[in-house]
Amino acid sequence: MTTPRAGCAVDADGRITFEVPGAGGLRLLLRLRPKKGQPEEDLHVLDLLAPDSADEGRAQAVLGADPVLAEGRWDVYLLQGTERTRLRPGPRDLRALMDGQLRERRGPLAVRVPYATKDGFLAVRTWLRPAHAEVGPVDVTDRTLTIAARLHGSPLAEGARVELRLRRDNDVTRTLEPQVRADGHAFSYTVDDTLDLDRDPGIWDMFLRPAPGAAPIRLARLLDDVADRKEVFVYPGAVVGGAVVRPYYTVDNDLSLEVKRAG
Amino acid sequence: MKISFLLHNAYGIGGTITTTFNLAQTLARRHEVEIISVLRHRELPTFVLDPRVSLRSLVDLREDKEHPSHLRPARVFPRSEYRYGQYSELTDQRIAEALATTDADAVIGTRPGLNVHLAREAPGHVARVGQEHLTLDKHSPRLRTALRRAYRGLDVLTTVTEADAASYRRRMRLPGVRVEALPNSVPDPVLPPADGSAKVVVAAGRLVGLKRYDLLVEAFAAVAAKHPDWQLRIYGKGEEQDRLRRLITDLRLWNNVFLMGPAAPMEAEWVKGSIGAATSDFEPFGMTIVEAMRCGLPVVSTDCPHGPAEIIADGVDGRLVPVGDRDALAAALLELVGDDELRRRMSRAALENARRFAPEPVVEQAEGLIAEAVAARRAGRPVVRGGQGAALSARGSAARDTALAAASGALRLVRKGRS
Repeated sequence: MTTPRAGCAVDADGRITFEVPGAGGLRLLLRLRPKKGQPEEDLHVLDLLAPDSADEGRAQAVLGADPVLAEGRWDVYLLQGTERTRLRPGPRDLRALMDGQLRERRGPLAVRVPYATKDGFLAVRTWLRPAHAEVGPVDVTDRTLTIAARLHGSPLAEGARVELRLRRDNDVTRTLEPQVRADGHAFSYTVDDTLDLDRDPGIWDMFLRPAPGAAPIRLARLLDDVADRKEVFVYPGAVVGGAVVRPYYTVDNDLSLEVKRAG
Repeated sequence: MKISFLLHNAYGIGGTITTTFNLAQTLARRHEVEIISVLRHRELPTFVLDPRVSLRSLVDLREDKEHPSHLRPARVFPRSEYRYGQYSELTDQRIAEALATTDADAVIGTRPGLNVHLAREAPGHVARVGQEHLTLDKHSPRLRTALRRAYRGLDVLTTVTEADAASYRRRMRLPGVRVEALPNSVPDPVLPPADGSAKVVVAAGRLVGLKRYDLLVEAFAAVAAKHPDWQLRIYGKGEEQDRLRRLITDLRLWNNVFLMGPAAPMEAEWVKGSIGAATSDFEPFGMTIVEAMRCGLPVVSTDCPHGPAEIIADGVDGRLVPVGDRDALAAALLELVGDDELRRRMSRAALENARRFAPEPVVEQAEGLIAEAVAARRAGRPVVRGGQGAALSARGSAARDTALAAASGALRLVRKGRS
């Protein structure tokens, strides 16, 4: 038995070139993985073509930077007529994503990171955000933690705020004022005992309101090659007031705080 | 020729598996090749195997785990072998049966215990090639004593370095056996090489004490302090994971040093970096060094026995630093991190120099050795006349190992008596 493998390469704009040996004339199907029990809705079909007629053994399908892919996980299939075969991953050349944090993004942010699923298939992790604040270094001291981030697109306006929301009860919030660097995009904020987080243990999600009244932007780290950051970018906790506060990345690469009463 | 490999477990991850797959695949271009995996624990191998190589297993742990014979200890597979605990009466039986019924011209064993099976149980007309992926120095005296006896039944014994081949010739008397170094090969990369611009140092291997990733993390603290935009990525999993995580935390390196988890194949990960690192106290070969170099990464490595110095030309295509020397390691990394031109020059040299480990040159040598053994078996004569080594020093080594083995046996008895 041979399960077909698809290699892929991503360029800095998010364009993905898939390559499936010997699959010329067939098509590639990308399917947004539906939630359990839901029907599948989002599908993209791409033609697999020989990149040059001299080399019939190769077949490539190009997913341009333009099609807007909904946020989620896209499974990749080889389509033979209507018959689907789920593809296994070949080499994934993601080096163009490595310095993604250094490039300025404008408008809505679309990110695509091909990855291998836990059970060994090729998939593409996608994010689609109307605006984006990228988390950078996280500094943890004994009593505080300081998170540096960068707002892409417009600069932070006067009155910008970072908002912490208790996940189990969204009405419970804390607001703090970020320190904004001279360029208006880079900012940082410090979580300390003045926030009294120990009163509300649990998971706190973090947002930036870039201007008074503006829609909140979820703080996340999306601009590199790491599709699942949770187990790779691991931070220690800090004792902040009466709580141990540990920043961590969610399964969506958003940054949250885990707050436990110190004891 | 029909060539059969005897492998411990083709379904896992590790240097021996990779290199056996590489050699088998390249041989399969011109020969009929199969891999016999003694153990199997999952449906598909972790590494992709070219369909031209056939693969079968002898004991499927998903079914045979509780087999009565699998619960009884092995008798043929030597007790002093590292993997003895995973072998059993059942593996003894099935390996013996596979060898007795083989239609191969040559069988290649890939670890000491399997080489013992091969030397003792292969039919007379079958050529016997034993491969050592570890080194003689690291074998226990008891294992050396067992092998000294058994390996006389081989036709060819290959080691992965010249240094180790020399030890075998010096310390074992193996009359009629050709002892040769056959390096591991690494397939031609499919991705374009790294261009030296990424601010990433990459290391890969099992997270075990021997690999000394603790030393690498500590050395990288100096790099991160001076160049905070550089990161270190360590790929692999293992028992040291939690300790390394604590070390990263203690040294406040969580923004720069990342435990990436296992990745197979590593190629796409190497090309994201621009420097490779290998920090073992001991490395029989140093497969990841060659992999990294073939992807265009100069490698900073400890000059440990035996592999690195036979792979890296210090100052030309990488750096060799003393074993366990954190400061020397940090200095070598800093030198490459801080000098883009030096890094790019060494990257080009690494690509060029690592070509000698491409499958073709290595497989040609292997093919020659196998053909020689097959011809000798057919003609009913040994592959080489007499021994290749100095008999006297071999005799001295044998006596020493026997004494050491007896001493450690006595010690065990004493300990047992006490407990």
